[in-house]
Amino acid sequence: MYGGAAYALALRIVRDRELAADVVQDAFLTVWRQASKFDPARGQPSSWILTLTHHKAVDTVRREQRRRAEALDEARESVDPAPAVEQQAWQSVARDQVRSAMAKLPDPHREVLELAYFAGYTQSELAERLALPIGTVKSRTFAAMTALRELLAQSGLNPEHEWNTSTS
Amino acid sequence: MEHVDELISGYALHGLDAADERLVLEHVETCERCRVQLREMEAVAAALAFAAPQAEPPPELRDRLLEAIGPEVVPSAPPEAPPERRARWSWWPRFSAVAVPVLGVAVIALAVWNISLRGDVKDADVRSVAPIANVGSVVSFSGGQATVFGGLKPAPADHTYEAWVIPKGETVPQAAGTFAGGNDMSFTLTRNASAGDTIVITLEPGTGGSAPKGPVVGKTSI
Repeated sequence: MYGGAAYALALRIVRDRELAADVVQDAFLTVWRQASKFDPARGQPSSWILTLTHHKAVDTVRREQRRRAEALDEARESVDPAPAVEQQAWQSVARDQVRSAMAKLPDPHREVLELAYFAGYTQSELAERLALPIGTVKSRTFAAMTALRELLAQSGLNPEHEWNTSTS
Repeated sequence: MEHVDELISGYALHGLDAADERLVLEHVETCERCRVQLREMEAVAAALAFAAPQAEPPPELRDRLLEAIGPEVVPSAPPEAPPERRARWSWWPRFSAVAVPVLGVAVIALAVWNISLRGDVKDADVRSVAPIANVGSVVSFSGGQATVFGGLKPAPADHTYEAWVIPKGETVPQAAGTFAGGNDMSFTLTRNASAGDTIVITLEPGTGGSAPKGPVVGKTSI
């Protein structure tokens, strides 16, 4: 569950299998080393692990600026066709619902989320790339995240309560 | 107090510059409302991970991870750990000897990692992790599956380890499958188990049977 999702996330961001493996290893080692600091009241383990993976992947891609050029065009491509671990129904459900929610966002909202989350753009960099005032980037990001939260809730998923996408 | 809603979204996406990041961290120290908002936005950001295209972790990644963790585990290993469980991969028993709440997240993460790579759990929501003396840990899932992780000396000739489930409130063990033991062992019970059930591992003569005859090797409640 976490391992597969974490690796897929890392690979999407760093776009290099070896780097992605390094990122996941680093994230899980951090989980291991900081397990005693984890406070369940502040969030679910899955959120924590995926957040760590995301941060480490973004930090990596920021160090490897050259990867930015290929940020969005390939975003929707499948990297591996139907690997066994991903065939688990629950993960397919989660993927479908998150993608469906993303597809319902207005284009400008989806754009800031994809650039920020998957391409690792900071808000300042987004302002420059999109030729928008930084304040607009901040408010657009806030609106996009709020809308996504609502759409996920409508689809029956509550991100804050783990990904209980049971298919039973 | 001026709240930092807009910055929180950027923070959750790991997209703030250092100054704004500090502002958020300092603010949520004293603002419960924004702390809740931050937790919600971090969960939404984590959900975005599932929009990533499918990708299967390379098989060697798990081994790399275990190798990296292994040396860090050794110093905290219980001194009474029997020699046969000191091999490189026998780290599950060490987890069980440490307070589970402290290491719970790592145990769960790694357990689910292990299980998800084998693809034998469809509904992988972890329900509990229970240490099982002399063996390792039992991770149980909300779907009813239970997997024993640990290290056991390989079963002697003409013997096998057998798992049993004793349903809560009952006394008769129900056979839940046989396995050979070994280091870095994991065995998913052939019978589902519920919260409050007892899991027992015995060493059985021959190929095991429908009622236990051999000595108890380990026992725990899940």
